[in-house]
Amino acid sequence: METLLPLSLYSQTGHLLLVLLLLLAGFTGFSGVVNLFRSTPFLPRTTTVLFALTTIVFLGGFLWISWFHYQIYQLLPLELPEPFVQMLNRQLAAMNKGAEYGLPLYNSDAPPRYVLPLWLENGKYYFWFMCYSCMALIGHLRLNKHRFRAVLHILLIVQVAILYMKTDPYLEPLPQFFNEVGPWFTSPVQGYQRFGLFMKLYPKMIFYYNAHYMWFHPPLLFLSYACITMTFVSSVFMLIKRDLDIERLGYDYAKLGYFLLTLGMLLGYPWALKAWGPNWWWDPKICSSIMMWAIYSTYLHTRLYANKPAMWYFSSILGIVCFFAMIFTFLTSFFFPGEHSFVG
Amino acid sequence: MVMKKKASFDFYLILSTVAVLFIISVICVYGMFYFKLAQIHHLPPADKMAYMKSMNAVIAPFIIALILLLGICVPKRLLPTIWLNRFAVALSLLGVGLSIGLGIKTGLVFVLVASLGLQLLVLGLAVAGSKRLHFEKSGYWMRVGSSLIHLGIILFVLDVFFYKMPRLHLLLFWVTTGATVFGMLFCFYSDSVVRLVRRVTGKATVNGD
Repeated sequence: METLLPLSLYSQTGHLLLVLLLLLAGFTGFSGVVNLFRSTPFLPRTTTVLFALTTIVFLGGFLWISWFHYQIYQLLPLELPEPFVQMLNRQLAAMNKGAEYGLPLYNSDAPPRYVLPLWLENGKYYFWFMCYSCMALIGHLRLNKHRFRAVLHILLIVQVAILYMKTDPYLEPLPQFFNEVGPWFTSPVQGYQRFGLFMKLYPKMIFYYNAHYMWFHPPLLFLSYACITMTFVSSVFMLIKRDLDIERLGYDYAKLGYFLLTLGMLLGYPWALKAWGPNWWWDPKICSSIMMWAIYSTYLHTRLYANKPAMWYFSSILGIVCFFAMIFTFLTSFFFPGEHSFVG
Repeated sequence: MVMKKKASFDFYLILSTVAVLFIISVICVYGMFYFKLAQIHHLPPADKMAYMKSMNAVIAPFIIALILLLGICVPKRLLPTIWLNRFAVALSLLGVGLSIGLGIKTGLVFVLVASLGLQLLVLGLAVAGSKRLHFEKSGYWMRVGSSLIHLGIILFVLDVFFYKMPRLHLLLFWVTTGATVFGMLFCFYSDSVVRLVRRVTGKATVNGD
């Protein structure tokens, strides 16, 4: 693939950006640890600048990922040899007959290209943590409470460290995708074998990689995950102290998170019908998502009565439970088999 | 005194909803672990369907409870507490009666259609700016938003019954999504909506909000 795509340039530059991100987030996190144990703020202005810089580098890295995906779009079209085009279109037309959702016919003038979403494979962690960085920065600027800010900073370095050590999107970009498409672009397979390979790649391209829903369903969920993290931090502080400013901030993020989560889940529904048909209820990921949504709904309902002392604590605990439900839901894709599974 | 009673009824309705949602969550978690341990994904389609059917049977009573709660929650906007109690009993009895006589599906569709009719009435009154509605929070857009969210939820559950009719199913689904999205926007960001409406129309909205 190295001859087809600027892989080394992407990896090396991206990794440098990630190192810079780690350094900036490291300093921010260090100030967070100091601030957590001090009664007065430690370097508040410097921390704000560092946090803003971290978020800017995050956004820069995201632009870099976008550039790489554009290269894939430009340089990796699925071109089928001319003799097979008519045969393919006949076969596709036959397959599309009576099918609820068909595959578009092949057009030699505009061969199908991969429009890869920016939150694919390790990119999803990058996007999720970048969303957190943006949301936490807004929270940081809105609320001048050094201990609250400190927790936001510590969570930031934790996420960047995970990104650097475990889920670097630059080091080995899109391994699963390249594993799938590699044989098409690199192997000398010709004739009917190549045709067979095309028939394997094309449906996945249409129903998964190039699906319009891919641009709405996952990013909305990751944005909501970032909001849930903010609600979690404010809920922890609500348990410790009856601070109305923190409570208001947490509620604002909870509303936004619930909106994004509900919309994201709803937009997954027609996609699931299209890709899997009607029989996917009780898939573990669906179960855990419904569980999380039910807990979140419960949280917002109890929040209506947060002025009652017991409900204040109950809704705070629910805000924390929401966060763990979110982690559990995310991890479901790794440990539970099913349609959303990331592994085997 | 009457106000206090109504508020506490509302509170208990919310607590009941919370309890039902919690049980549904627990069943979902059970379903996940069962799916993994029994290796449902490796079973032939017929066994998979049997698993789905058995899980549907487990969750059905709680979905019914949720639908009933929705059915009771909707008229709380319209009726005083005493009538609300009578309505709740009547709706439950009719729902159970129809389920026994004509099948559980008919009973559930009846409760849902009754709730849908009432919710459309509530939405109409909220849009008209009626002061007769009882809401926890005041504000025109807040009320319209809350009505739309509840309408969306009722429609979503009702839509499940039409999953064998793909066109109607998807059409209803998009109506549900629209109602829920606009409902949440109006409800959660009512102040911004008020400002936007004022900027567009150049005057105050209904109720002066």
